[in-house]
Amino acid sequence: MTLADLPEGAAFTVGSVLLDSEVGKRLADMGFTAGAEGRVVRRSFFRGPLQVLIRGYSLLLRRCEAAGIAVESDYESLGGALPGGRGFGRGRGRGRGRGLGMGGRTGIAGRGRGSGGTCR
Amino acid sequence: MNRIRDEIVIALAGNPNSGKTTLFNALTGAHHKVGNYPGVTVEKREGVRKRGDRVYRFVDLPGIYSLTAYSLDEVVTRDFLLDRKPDLIMDVLDSTNLERHLYLCLQFQELGIPVVGALNMSDEAEAKGLRIDAAALSSVLGIPLARTVGTVGAGIDGLLDLVDSVVEGSVPAERLPDYGDELEGRLEPLTAAIASDPAFSAAFPPRWMAVKLLEKDADARARLGSHARAAETLELAASAIAWVERHFGKDAEIVVSEQRYAYIHGAVKESVKLARTPDFSVTEAIDRVVMHPVLALPLFVGVLWAVFQLTFALGEYPMAWLETLFAWLSASLSAALPEGLFKSLVVDGMIGGVGGVLSFVPLIIILFFLLSILEDSGYMSRAAFATDKILHTFGLHGQSIFPLMLGFGCSVPAIMAARTLKSPRDRIVTILVIPFMSCGAKLPVHVLLSAAFFPDRAAAVVMLVYAFGVLMALGSALLLKRTVLKGRATPFVMELPPWRAPTLGGLAWHVREKTWLYVKKAGTVILAASILIWAVTTFPAREADAAELAAIERSIAEADPGLDDGALESLVANELSRRALEASAAGRIGRFMEPVFKPLGFDWKIGVATITGFAAKEVVVSTLGVLYAAGGEEEGADASLREALRADPAFGPLSALGLMLFILLIPPCFAALGAIKAELGWKWLGFSFAFLLAAGWLVAFAVRQLGLLAGYGG
Repeated sequence: MTLADLPEGAAFTVGSVLLDSEVGKRLADMGFTAGAEGRVVRRSFFRGPLQVLIRGYSLLLRRCEAAGIAVESDYESLGGALPGGRGFGRGRGRGRGRGLGMGGRTGIAGRGRGSGGTCR
Repeated sequence: MNRIRDEIVIALAGNPNSGKTTLFNALTGAHHKVGNYPGVTVEKREGVRKRGDRVYRFVDLPGIYSLTAYSLDEVVTRDFLLDRKPDLIMDVLDSTNLERHLYLCLQFQELGIPVVGALNMSDEAEAKGLRIDAAALSSVLGIPLARTVGTVGAGIDGLLDLVDSVVEGSVPAERLPDYGDELEGRLEPLTAAIASDPAFSAAFPPRWMAVKLLEKDADARARLGSHARAAETLELAASAIAWVERHFGKDAEIVVSEQRYAYIHGAVKESVKLARTPDFSVTEAIDRVVMHPVLALPLFVGVLWAVFQLTFALGEYPMAWLETLFAWLSASLSAALPEGLFKSLVVDGMIGGVGGVLSFVPLIIILFFLLSILEDSGYMSRAAFATDKILHTFGLHGQSIFPLMLGFGCSVPAIMAARTLKSPRDRIVTILVIPFMSCGAKLPVHVLLSAAFFPDRAAAVVMLVYAFGVLMALGSALLLKRTVLKGRATPFVMELPPWRAPTLGGLAWHVREKTWLYVKKAGTVILAASILIWAVTTFPAREADAAELAAIERSIAEADPGLDDGALESLVANELSRRALEASAAGRIGRFMEPVFKPLGFDWKIGVATITGFAAKEVVVSTLGVLYAAGGEEEGADASLREALRADPAFGPLSALGLMLFILLIPPCFAALGAIKAELGWKWLGFSFAFLLAAGWLVAFAVRQLGLLAGYGG
């Protein structure tokens, strides 16, 4: 699963960064290292950038970079319901409410995954 | 080592959005200067603080996230710290976001220069419920720390006390970050190998060098070339990298980042506690609207529109005052100076040119003030979020939006603002397309021509021209990214700072700095260009003899017998200046270049106006005024110029549209060209000039030919 697959409000733990050295190093410098915890705050329409909370601050990144970051998230194992917990109290209520309508959009992101990992 | 000195040089460094500039202002007050250091294009500000008999000299370095060799700002910072060796590095840390801010701090520590940390924005951290044990954090990391609030200047004395104690040596020896047993096992022999050359290790701290080599840093490898045992050391580094990658199963540079963050995470966990989670976040509340998936883009367009409305509405009055001032100045100088070339040079050349540009200063100040509010409050990052998708489609970057927006005001600050772009390719593309954003000085040209030839829908035509400029900018960006500046897209990885109320001091700072650059250009490049343009339109001088004068008078009087003496006199004067301009070098160049303009449906007059337009684009209007003998500056000149243009059989709606687009697209004024040269050098200036000229000519040609095919005459 990559960061690009996650719906709004989903909490995650970074697994590894699959992008090449320059982008990968930049993301690692910004805090995307194995084990770092974060949350998807916001996704934009038309496959635009997403806003992610990582190490306590907000970061914008494009979907193709997000597709190069392997993450672990238990939102899927909960049948699409979002965990929300993990100290991100704010995200909980909102995330769960939206979780039901999120299936379709996750599907779209999933289809794009094949080309993920490299950015043009 | 005790170094008790009267003057201490302090490098002020830190991440972007750490409140560094605000703290710099709080530290140094008004005593600063902006200086360009040789060899680098990025400016560093210097400021001085005196306390007791000690002088603290602060050098403000660019905001960066890391010390890699990937971005210009990072390289500049690195080179400054390595080559100039300041006495101390003051790292400004955002207390609400310590982990990432400390990441840079640890890299400073390894440089072997004493580091002092300012726990800035400590008020915000408290509001967020973060309780930071500064003493504990300080002793774990081995970095002296002091709490500050830059916006109100709190904690400055405590910070300077720390500086004193570090310089006087009363602070325990520094500790270096620990990368864990596996990495330390590789770093130790590598550090020893680098330290074996004393001359080299005096210039470059061995430990820092060892870490950078492990990170496969290209610049560090290059610098190692001067090491006595360079080849051996590189071999040792290669085997260390290979070992790390085998052991961890990932790239060595990533492992270094991970270990660094692990070390920080441990330290922060012990000393920072989240006392309570605030249940309401202002930033999130605003962002739900401003970054709304659907509303973000229309909102951005609305903000842009409001900024320009406000700029022109507020700027109108001071602009009129300045115009009056310059008119008065040239009138009184006209009266005071003896008739002749010198008077013409001063009044028409210097005051006319520079005054025209300086009367834009109020507009520039207001525009910069409003845009600085957007920048300092954090809106620009939201704008980048809203527009990145569109800009990225055309090969630009979300961060290009700020320079491109400035381009509607004036290309000069817009071109300079492109410095915020990290990748050189993005920066070059952005600078190359900025001239297509129709600047404020081109507006009078559009207004004149659309009012003359499209009286019923003048505003719509002007809008169309603006929109065409934007489309040209986007299209050219795509073309350039596919051809000359081919390469992989730069990643869009951008911090989204929380919303913050801009401080008046910070805004004044931005405005002063940007406006000063504009004024400086007016005083140098534009002055020189104005004199040049004056010369080509004045020489070779042409004196009309009495017979010619009489003939002119007769023909004008015959054409309109009802004229009174005053009107006759001004018409004669106009005719004389028209003939003088026609005979001047500019007129001759215009005539010589007529074949170039013919296919576009323009005659030599447009050629002359194009040349004078290089001083400033609004000069095109006054030149046409002279050439059409409609009077340059007098009351009602606009209306009579419209009449004269309409009366010219060679001119019609089609030529007018072609001319608007031609003026929109051809190379910008000298001031903007000077800015391109300063930012990108002669080679790109040449490219830009040729590219814009080709774009303007081809578009005007296409408009003409398509229009003729479609059956529109003239």
